[in-house]
Amino acid sequence: MSAAARLPDGQGSPVIQTKGLDLFYGNFQALKGVDLSITEKKITAIIGPSGCGKSTLLRVFNRMNDLVEGARVTGSVRLDGKEIYAPGTDLLLLRKKVGMVFQRPNPFPLSILENVVFGLKIHHMYRKKRGILYEMARKSLESVLLWDDLKDKLGRLATNLSLEQQQKLCIARLLVVKPEVLLMDEPCSALDPMSTSRIEELMQELKKNYTIVIVTHNMQQAARVSDEAGYMLLGELVEFGRTHAIFTAPRDKRTEDYVTGRLG
Amino acid sequence: MNMNPRVTQRIAFSALLFSTLLVMVPVGMVIVVILKQGAGAISWEFLSQMPRSGMRAGGILPAIVGTFCLVLGAVCFALPLGLLAAIYLSEYSKDTFLNRIVRLAIINLAGVPSVVFGLFGLALFVNFFGFGASILSGSLTLGIMILPVIITSSREAIDSVPQSFREVSLSLGATKLQTIRHAVLPHALPGILTGTILGVGRAAGETAPILFTVAAFYLPRLPGSIFDQVMALPYHLYVLSTQVPNVDSGIRYGTALVLLVIVLLMNAIAIAIRAHFRSKKKW
Ligand SMILES: Nc1ncnc2c1ncn2[C@@H]1O[C@H](COP(=O)(O)OP(=O)(O)OP(=O)(O)O)[C@@H](O)[C@H]1O
Ligand SMILES: [Mg+2]
Repeated sequence: MSAAARLPDGQGSPVIQTKGLDLFYGNFQALKGVDLSITEKKITAIIGPSGCGKSTLLRVFNRMNDLVEGARVTGSVRLDGKEIYAPGTDLLLLRKKVGMVFQRPNPFPLSILENVVFGLKIHHMYRKKRGILYEMARKSLESVLLWDDLKDKLGRLATNLSLEQQQKLCIARLLVVKPEVLLMDEPCSALDPMSTSRIEELMQELKKNYTIVIVTHNMQQAARVSDEAGYMLLGELVEFGRTHAIFTAPRDKRTEDYVTGRLG
Repeated sequence: MNMNPRVTQRIAFSALLFSTLLVMVPVGMVIVVILKQGAGAISWEFLSQMPRSGMRAGGILPAIVGTFCLVLGAVCFALPLGLLAAIYLSEYSKDTFLNRIVRLAIINLAGVPSVVFGLFGLALFVNFFGFGASILSGSLTLGIMILPVIITSSREAIDSVPQSFREVSLSLGATKLQTIRHAVLPHALPGILTGTILGVGRAAGETAPILFTVAAFYLPRLPGSIFDQVMALPYHLYVLSTQVPNVDSGIRYGTALVLLVIVLLMNAIAIAIRAHFRSKKKW
């Protein structure tokens, strides 16, 4: 199958493109020749059984794999047309553009406000007047639909919020630094079904302004929220395309087995 | 031979409880004895005046001030150094041979008898660097003595900060240094403070390290610079108890009481800080 055949035929320009992406943890090859294209302002879901390399792939996009000793990447990964693994890449700028939401909600044990503005401290936007700071926090909390609930409690400890609120807060903490792409690694796996569906609604809202890549174990979730989807198995991207096509007319036998529940 | 598990359980519980109580006996007795014998001597004069008549009368102000200066000096030296070392060891160093040696050295430093620190301070600071017997020499010696406590507790505090805090910070585009500064140290601070205060308590109470490096036998005035000698509580107590005949035992126990209160106060503050932050932290 040629690379081009895997690219979705949807509209919209590609934000992230990989070609022949291999990743090694020491001698172990965790990603094998991954070719894909993440489309702007769409939700792309990555599904596949445990250990197939979904998180690894996600962490390629913001180069968090660099933190793993012995991790090595070859092939091409481009963000807005620029190779992110080329020497001289501004790693800090890359991570500012490509933000990440983690599996377990992980706010700092600080106040809600301090959590939201954490990224501003780092990107030296903190010196601004308090009013502006507050304003930025408000916008960010509004975009994750938390402002109405929390506007009177900004001084409270963030770790006392419900898990759903904590996860939304973590997204808000990300949004203040103005990313383009949001990487979400099983963002709902710690949440109950009601909370999950509210996070999914939030994703639909966020998709208007951000490109989202979500890793999920939950196939229904992938089917519900995503526009495009990829199925991974043992480090390979077996199939990639429109979500509808993946779930109703998979081209690969292995994908079909997975989405019909015969594997994983 | 089959005992009823419930009986065994009760016996085990009693044994544990008894041991615990037994451990508390000496602590309690020390406090009671010193309080009983020394409380009578405590007065504002005792705390605020110079000793008189060959230390048989008057107060212990210069010893209190001396101990205070020494402890402050020791912390000013040991906290920055120890904290930086801890940050390096926890956040930057890889598990190399050299680093294992460094870690081993720190552990062993903690086990060195305090009188050896005293001799070391005498050789290095008093003689080699020519600081003489002075607050500077004494503080540096005490600082080196409490360095292991500060490094070890700081490392524990830093290591107990969840990895996810670092990941979040880095994923938001922070540098490693910013991550340490904003996402690690603030959450490690209680542990670092606790260790420091425990070190302070230890530094305040030790006699041997200051014996050759700073402590004055009898110096009824306050220090003017860091190159002055000073009196210090533990050494003063030693002098009162062994070198000066016919000292009223109230003065001796009063001095011991002041020293004990300072050390216990330090420990109490450390415990309070820890309790305060433990109630807040959730991870
Ligand atoms: N730091 C690492 N060092 C070595 N091997 C690793 C490392 N991280 C992951 N792996 C291996 O790489 C493979 C892919 O891991 P990854 O975490 O990306 O899987 P995943 O699809 O996200 O799984 P899950 O659904 O369980 O989260 C696994 O076989 C895993 O054991
Ligand atoms: Mg994973």
